[in-house]
Amino acid sequence: MREIQLPLSQTQKVRLQKALEQLESLSTKVNSDASVIIADSIHVNHEDGVLKGHGTADLNGEVVATLCGVVERVNKLVYVRALRSRYKPEVGDIVIGRVVEVAQKRWRLEINYNQDAVLLLSSMNMPDGVQRRRTAVDELNMRCIFEENDVVCAEVRGFQHDGLHLQARSRKYGKLNRGQLLTVPPYLVKRQKQHFHHLEEFGIDLILGCNGFIWVGEHVEAKDDMIEDQVSQSDSQVLFPNKNCVSLEEQEKNYTILETRKYISRAANAVRVLSTLGFNITLEIIKGIIDLSLSMNLDIHDMLGSEFCVLVAEKEAERRSSMKKRR
Amino acid sequence: METDRPDGRTPNQLRPLVCSCSILHRSHGSASWAQGETKVLAAVYGPKAGTKKSENPEKASIEVIWKPKTGQIGKVEKEYEMILKRTLESICIRTIYPNTTTSVIVQVVHDDGALLPCAINAACAALVDAGIPLKHLAVAICCSVTDSGCIILDPTKDEEEKMKAFINLVFPNTIVSVLPEGSLQAGSEPMAHGIMTSITQGAMSVDDYLHCLERGRAASARLSEFVRKNIELKSTSEASKAG
Repeated sequence: MREIQLPLSQTQKVRLQKALEQLESLSTKVNSDASVIIADSIHVNHEDGVLKGHGTADLNGEVVATLCGVVERVNKLVYVRALRSRYKPEVGDIVIGRVVEVAQKRWRLEINYNQDAVLLLSSMNMPDGVQRRRTAVDELNMRCIFEENDVVCAEVRGFQHDGLHLQARSRKYGKLNRGQLLTVPPYLVKRQKQHFHHLEEFGIDLILGCNGFIWVGEHVEAKDDMIEDQVSQSDSQVLFPNKNCVSLEEQEKNYTILETRKYISRAANAVRVLSTLGFNITLEIIKGIIDLSLSMNLDIHDMLGSEFCVLVAEKEAERRSSMKKRR
Repeated sequence: METDRPDGRTPNQLRPLVCSCSILHRSHGSASWAQGETKVLAAVYGPKAGTKKSENPEKASIEVIWKPKTGQIGKVEKEYEMILKRTLESICIRTIYPNTTTSVIVQVVHDDGALLPCAINAACAALVDAGIPLKHLAVAICCSVTDSGCIILDPTKDEEEKMKAFINLVFPNTIVSVLPEGSLQAGSEPMAHGIMTSITQGAMSVDDYLHCLERGRAASARLSEFVRKNIELKSTSEASKAG
């Protein structure tokens, strides 16, 4: 995970430094007293029966930190919220993963965790939407549903004896097509109620995975797709969407118009700018950056230049200070 | 007693320290550590699933790969690999991620003396950057003994060739309470320092060894302060940037 490596000129360096100092002053009061590094002892009242959480350890009756981060206290629970660490799954998280292996009755997905996640054949909906038992024929056809290196959206189901299990029991989960997959540090993505976003004015879908994988793709209508498929195609086509389509009709279906592809790239570059600067990634900030680049008539590749990054940092400093005054 | 050194340092003076973190894009943690002209780049990948056959799957295992500046690794580099692996195993909490392997790749950029302590410091900084749970930080230092019995710290390559003996020492970093007035320790006495790793080369008397321990322990306090300040600045700035 790289730090800011922009080729800044002297003026841009001064402006970026000023914006970052302003951001630091806004949050220093909240964070400075709770920051710890490894082996610092955390002061707790032992008579209260404190629970030691993640990132802490017991050393000679004293609570010490095992990670660098910020101390959080929730009632009797004391834990360290680390910034630079791998993704830690929680039940119900929406994650995006890449298929690394197709095994018997399951797929293995890489989700930026210390072991691969497991998506069972019985934990997902069949492509035709029919609710029925999985048979041996379904096992043989697993590669027609997801094959290696496919990008899949799923939900964390929980920890089982053989590892982390995912599930994809809704139409909104499943295989992701026609877009870009981005990787950011997981601490930049906050847990929210909504992680699926549809940007109607641009015609694209945005999925912010809790594990730091972010998908920007062409919008797909979740419900109409099944009805439309049943009308226009035979059952074998619906069952195996991965088959190579030779007909012109199928090629036309997979084609994405240039305007939408430009919007996808613009949104992806907005996420990259936020990741480079180390800012939180939320929907309104991404929209703000896209609108800023459109209003400046900026080319898509110029969004990754140093001038635009400095401008985004300055705008973010203004936004946070105005939010602070509003409270 | 001769106190002059070729680069103008006093016997107890360390060379300038430079430490940078998060410089590699694909690794989960990376750090570059320079002491004077000696420079080492360390990268950490993992924890990844699975362990090798010779390892214990109930604990996390650490794999160290040493890359010399040029050529193939020889016997000296293999010994460095083993020493580094043992040191890192002793500071990591290996029960949190069972059946995983963490790879630490150490690339030597330049060698101007005291290479092994520089590599240990770089590897510890990279582990912190990767977010691996650690018991404590480790600081490494090299002391050497001249023919006349004088002890100097952090020798350069030229000085190493003239020394009678030298010793590589690794100490745990000092512990500071988050709220100093709330500390439960007796008075303001810090915890007793243990030695994590001690490797000597050459002929050395027991008195010289004990003197080296004293000097090394005193100098490691400065190193600890440098490491702590570096990590604190980085952690605070990242939290403020994220918002």
